[in-house]
Amino acid sequence: MIDFTRRKVLGVAAGTMASAIGAVQLAEPAAADDAADLDLFVRLSAALTGIDALQLAPLRDPLQIKRVYFKQAKSDPAFESLMQIVRANPDDPAGAAGKIMNDPDPKIKYLGRSIILAWYLGAWYQPTVLAQTPPPSSVVPLKIISPTAYTQAWAWRVAQAHPMGYSELRFGYWSDEPLPIDDFVKLKGA
Amino acid sequence: MRNVSKVAGRASAIAVACMLSWQAPAQAPDPNTAADENPPVENCNTTADTGQDPHNPGKRVATPIDSKLLSLGQPCQQVVNTKGLTTDALANMQRGFDFYSWLTFIALNSPAEGKAIGHGPRPGGDAVTKWEALSNYRPLAAVMLEKGARPTWGTRIVPELCKPLDGPGKIVLQLGEAAWNQPFKTGPLIDQNGNYALFDILINKPMFDFVVNNGLYSKQGQERFDSDVKFPLGANPEGSEPGRMGAVMLKVSWHILDPDKDKVVIKQFHTADALIYFPGPPATKTGPACVAKTLGLIGFHIGHKTRFAPQWVWSSFEHVRNAPNEKQVATKNLHPPYTFYNAACPRCASNNTPPSPWDPPASLKFHSNDKSQVIRSTILPEAVASEVDDLNRSFRNLLKGTVWENYMLITTQWPSNNESKTDCNGAPMPTFLANTTLETYSQGRVPLASSSCMACHGNATTRHVPAAASDFTFILEKAQCENDVCGPPPTNNSVANIKRCGLADPPE
Repeated sequence: MIDFTRRKVLGVAAGTMASAIGAVQLAEPAAADDAADLDLFVRLSAALTGIDALQLAPLRDPLQIKRVYFKQAKSDPAFESLMQIVRANPDDPAGAAGKIMNDPDPKIKYLGRSIILAWYLGAWYQPTVLAQTPPPSSVVPLKIISPTAYTQAWAWRVAQAHPMGYSELRFGYWSDEPLPIDDFVKLKGA
Repeated sequence: MRNVSKVAGRASAIAVACMLSWQAPAQAPDPNTAADENPPVENCNTTADTGQDPHNPGKRVATPIDSKLLSLGQPCQQVVNTKGLTTDALANMQRGFDFYSWLTFIALNSPAEGKAIGHGPRPGGDAVTKWEALSNYRPLAAVMLEKGARPTWGTRIVPELCKPLDGPGKIVLQLGEAAWNQPFKTGPLIDQNGNYALFDILINKPMFDFVVNNGLYSKQGQERFDSDVKFPLGANPEGSEPGRMGAVMLKVSWHILDPDKDKVVIKQFHTADALIYFPGPPATKTGPACVAKTLGLIGFHIGHKTRFAPQWVWSSFEHVRNAPNEKQVATKNLHPPYTFYNAACPRCASNNTPPSPWDPPASLKFHSNDKSQVIRSTILPEAVASEVDDLNRSFRNLLKGTVWENYMLITTQWPSNNESKTDCNGAPMPTFLANTTLETYSQGRVPLASSSCMACHGNATTRHVPAAASDFTFILEKAQCENDVCGPPPTNNSVANIKRCGLADPPE
């Protein structure tokens, strides 16, 4: 299994930025079942990443990055099995996350890790590659999920930073002290 | 088993919370500056896009789009609600902002003399509009004067060379690079007659007064100014506090019309008789020179700083004949003539910058046969585009028979999280917005590279050294040096401290 230290995550983030960025796809309205699954997916994501669900998917959310990651995860063959675990624990996303991360089926277990990496790095790492034994010395993502995903990767905010070439702070911010970590990220349940 | 009802319950709770948070105070108008620079407004238009259904208190119904809306005045602030015609809070708010944009457009384009829009003396009810009257708005060239001189509100500046061509009702459009070159120097826009499109920027009196009272009209004045640049906010009346308009800035685009050759289409445009002044180097390669032209309005941007939108509210309008959209081109559903698209040349490269040199000659004719082949890119979320289409249909129908029926809203960009500390642009909704006449070459959906009013203007600075945020306007960068003497920058004694969004004293 790949370990996710802050240094490694940031190193991978920097490395993936040079990768090709795919075309934007605007979110399609979800069907009713999809909408319910999307809600569960966000709560699962909060449990997996440790970041508050309202930060991952704000109430007023122009970017709708949750839909982008949901669509990406849904394209994986193990997604339905993963969602069955979440649907069986609708009020206990942390419990569902624990089951997924320790699932005996590597397809489910490593899809859970791919979802974590998607939120933190904006890149899609194929579960089959993450599951390789022995673990590869370095893992190259399949792709940056979208230009928006590039800008929204949580690794940057956890580091009180911003992706290369894209900042939402004001001109000259580099001469000021960094904002406190609490301004960037709110941990789940905090 | 899926627990859909619990999900729905959570969604309802979220919707209520959303409405409450939007109505929470974010940045109150400053009463100290309000007295001088942001005077009370008696007739703020506070019409919302929806109201409560009298027969069903839990339901909201659309405000009728009828003639009553034509004379209610300009909104001092948006009135939006998470509840509306749909179950989607964001969509309901977007419609509220788009409704606000149309009300603002109607108010600003009403005749300066005071009648309702479309009731002016010219064909199609056209008239000199409120924003073209010097009593209401002032062009940027008449704010940032030569030698950093202090401007005076209301005075009309006519260059000597233009005086022989002057006459009643004529506007003066002084050229600099920003008057013909698009943002980030991406190039000029050339119409199908081979003429340059022209751009101008104007500001209202509260914004002008803030500039003048703080000495921001010269480079040295900006260097001396050590506070945060915070233009006054627009706000609706609340309790005993009167409404105030706040800062409004406009960016307009024109194309040249020939009253004889274009006599068929000219009646579809709001027009202005203009004196176009080329100051000469360094502002323009041509000149000094002055030419008289008839101009037709093709684009209209409104930026309005309001309560709950300290990142400003950005409305963008266009003439309907500017260019077809991608879908119309793909399905060959074209309705020529277009000002910036040749329907007879489907293989012409689209949205390309014309070949250099770009500086316009006094004829304002482009040097070669190249003409812009503009297509409106699909950049808005489909739900937003559809909502705006519906609203445009209703408002254009309301304006039928006037020149104003030929204008459409592209949409409104607004801060969906105006209090964010780490996204100083306030999470713009929608993320991208482009006007085909003002951001022709930066249409798209690539963060930072594609047109977004707020993401772009959020980078604007003053001429202070070191640079300081200028509150979402580039106008301060146009300030000139006092008496043409640009001294060395002052020593910066400031120390690093925590600033949020460039402000030492952020709004709480």
